[in-house]
Amino acid sequence: MRSEREVTLAIERYADTVRRICMIHLKNYADTEDIFQTVFLKYVLSSVSFSSAEHEKAWFIRVTINACKDLIKSFFRSHTVSIDEVIEQPAELPPDNREVLEAVLSLPAKYRDVIYLHYYEDYPAPQISKILGKNVNTVYTLLTRAKKMLKDKLGGEEFE
Amino acid sequence: MNKRLKEAFDNIHAEEDLKNKTRVFLAQKTRRTYAYKRFIPAVVCLLFVLIGFGGYHVYFTPTSFISIDINPSFELGVNRFDRIVSIQGYNKDGDRLADSLNVRFLNYTQALKQILENDDVEAYLSRDELLSIAVISSDETRNEQMLSHIEACTSEHENTHCSSADSKEVEGAHESGLSCGKYKAYLELKALDPDITVEDIQGMTMREIWDLIDSLSPNASSKVRDGAHTEDNHDKKEDRHNGRHSNGHD
Repeated sequence: MRSEREVTLAIERYADTVRRICMIHLKNYADTEDIFQTVFLKYVLSSVSFSSAEHEKAWFIRVTINACKDLIKSFFRSHTVSIDEVIEQPAELPPDNREVLEAVLSLPAKYRDVIYLHYYEDYPAPQISKILGKNVNTVYTLLTRAKKMLKDKLGGEEFE
Repeated sequence: MNKRLKEAFDNIHAEEDLKNKTRVFLAQKTRRTYAYKRFIPAVVCLLFVLIGFGGYHVYFTPTSFISIDINPSFELGVNRFDRIVSIQGYNKDGDRLADSLNVRFLNYTQALKQILENDDVEAYLSRDELLSIAVISSDETRNEQMLSHIEACTSEHENTHCSSADSKEVEGAHESGLSCGKYKAYLELKALDPDITVEDIQGMTMREIWDLIDSLSPNASSKVRDGAHTEDNHDKKEDRHNGRHSNGHD
């Protein structure tokens, strides 16, 4: 079992990451609270020793995605969610950010993770395949399709 | 577009309230877990202590007694594993003899052999004193078993008298401050002479008591042999014992 200090540090370091993943998966704020409790409790009780901060971060991402998927599986949910439902104060978001996030949330669930991991966390496809437990080629395919869908939604700008 | 995505996600932060709620939740969970884990060694220790005390209690509680009287009177406490766990003198000589013996934790037959080979005991017996051994156990089968082992032990010694008693007799004996063997002889004597008191008996040797019983008994010669009259429950055993008793006594 991890010490209180380790847990406090982990919350400071990874709360935002967990929050972003929750946002792209979950439909409401209450579920986000559940996922936070599940993920950090798992961390407290886990005896995994991390070789690096990167390893630790990848562990949090994987555990959060899995926890979100488990939660989603247990309820009937629509494929798209509104940003207003997943963020406590959506009005504070700049309009451009809001548009981008709405576009991401409008994607089918399987594309959201790859978009987040690739464009925000800068993970290359092989690492995304490890985190998500998917074939690398599948990740490439998902990325290509997701890019195209986002391009259609957000305008003609090409992704790098 | 990449930049737009980054900026958008950068503006997403875990709300302070969310972090605090998580901290509170984890604190509750871990405190409960820590508390539970903290209890484990305590429970294990308690268990060991209980087992220890239980074992100690089982081992060190005498379930039977062997009362040995010549003039020195003392009692051996025997646990359920046939080991001597206590030795208590009932008069000064008894205390002295009890102190000089090293029979604790020995099997009672070994202890008895050692007692019979003790110089003081041998000296008493050589002066034609009478050795009375009484077995007291609340379990009749065990009483029988112990008595037969003790009889086997003492078979080579003259002037020994083995008998058994029940726990009521033990209570009476201990209330009077007498060992059980002496108390049984006292009861016999009191039946013949109601004026006799515990104080009178205390200083007397078993030989003196039995001689007195013999002299007071209207049927002196058979009286000693028929010493079973105070032991209604043990007629059969007494017949056996009396044979040995009279053997040394006549």
